Amino acid sequence: MANQVKKYGFVIDPRRCIDCRACLVACRAENNVPLNYTRNWVYDQGVQGDFPNLTQQFVPYNCMHCDEPPCVEACPSQATYKRKEDGIVVIDQEACIGCGLCLEACPYHVRYLNPQTGKADKCNACLQRIQQGEMPACVATCVGGSRLFGDLNDPNSEVSQALASAKSIKRLPAVGVDTGPNIYYINEPVDEKKLAVTEPKMPPADVFYQKIVIPGILAAVGAMFLGQAVAFAKQLRKGESEFEE
Amino acid sequence: MSGEVLSLAERKRLRAKTLKKHGLANILTHWFNVASWLILLPTGLAILANPNLRIMPQGYIDFFVNLFGSVGNLVRAHQIFGIIWLFVITYNVLLGFRRYFVPFARKRMLLTPDDLIWFREYGKKLLGRKYHLPPQDAYNAGQKLYGYVVILGTITIGLTGLIMTFGYLLPPELRWILQWLRPLHFTAVGGIVAGLVVHVYMAAFFPEEKSAFFSMFTGNVDALYARLHHRKWYDDKLKEEREYEMRVRLEEIEAREQETAQAERPA
Repeated sequence: MANQVKKYGFVIDPRRCIDCRACLVACRAENNVPLNYTRNWVYDQGVQGDFPNLTQQFVPYNCMHCDEPPCVEACPSQATYKRKEDGIVVIDQEACIGCGLCLEACPYHVRYLNPQTGKADKCNACLQRIQQGEMPACVATCVGGSRLFGDLNDPNSEVSQALASAKSIKRLPAVGVDTGPNIYYINEPVDEKKLAVTEPKMPPADVFYQKIVIPGILAAVGAMFLGQAVAFAKQLRKGESEFEE
Repeated sequence: MSGEVLSLAERKRLRAKTLKKHGLANILTHWFNVASWLILLPTGLAILANPNLRIMPQGYIDFFVNLFGSVGNLVRAHQIFGIIWLFVITYNVLLGFRRYFVPFARKRMLLTPDDLIWFREYGKKLLGRKYHLPPQDAYNAGQKLYGYVVILGTITIGLTGLIMTFGYLLPPELRWILQWLRPLHFTAVGGIVAGLVVHVYMAAFFPEEKSAFFSMFTGNVDALYARLHHRKWYDDKLKEEREYEMRVRLEEIEAREQETAQAERPA
């Protein structure tokens, strides 16, 4: 167990969510999230069914900590990265310059530019709390026990147990591509069409950089280097004379 | 190089004579620029860590991240050294604007009709055809062209770098600028590096330019090199020398005349 790689993830049971939004408040308090911004949401999917058999479903939502995060793929300097030891996608605030590429790339739109720091910000699964052995603030505060968090690789963890006994399991893959989101919705179908999930977008500046600029510059420098290597070989073959130069 | 025939004695005489080509300020600025590039280029390549974009292998990037302690420190160091580089270069240009920069730009950087011929003839040389290079100024047409690449590149790198360093202060609607400045920053660096390959080869390996290499330490080139490679500049230098000689002689004659006039004055 000691050197087993962890894979942290959320398991959310929408049946147990009463839309109290304590998770939003707890997150804001824990992570100093500025006003007008939030790291997590509760989506109201509206009233469903025919009278008198009506239901209303609420879907708690935050960063999916994807297996293959498009935001990480967009960041040129890897200021945002997926932690190897537990799979949490974090942002190195010191390295981020706030260019916003990751905001465009994320299919779940969970990132925002923090107006206090000017840099990208999002859910970090309360890394500061889980390193102390505590649950993320949104999970710890959830009155209905709708939000669960833990190591998906550990079969004895609360999340694995909940998944094992779930009536149904639903992930919300991005449109077109499955980026491996690590929030599992259990026991009740979630209508992803009502959530704002889109397809992951490679920002045009990144495409231009990757497809045109880098091959072009490498070709130019390579051609120059090759030219000089040929010239050098010629020069060595010719040798140096004492009187001519 | 001109196809001029010079006797061995003449070559030896010219080789022993030196002409001043670079001032101390230019030499120091050049080597400061070299030192800055030796820091900024490797750290910059280490920052470009995204597997889709990176040029250097993961081991290189890990080495630099470990050397500086974190990606944040690496970025910060690149920014700080970049700002120092930009500050010193700008300061030098402004401080020496009248004395160095304006004469340099006017006498050495302007392209002349001969330069256009030089490009044509040099193209022939590269293609292995018969060529004849016209006489050149202090810098030949190729060097002038690279000079422009470096000046434009330096301005581009400096401005894009500054904006990216302080980009977190921009309002969110303008952050797309930062996204496009990254490839621009990279392109400007790439343009300079492509030319740098030739620049370093010419200076460090090419025997004909040996004199130019040492002139970046001493400031002087030998007269034979100047005559064969930079004939127009060489002729100007000779003219300057003659003018100086004339002036000194005239002063000498005037002084002597005054002396004789004083001696002939009745006591």
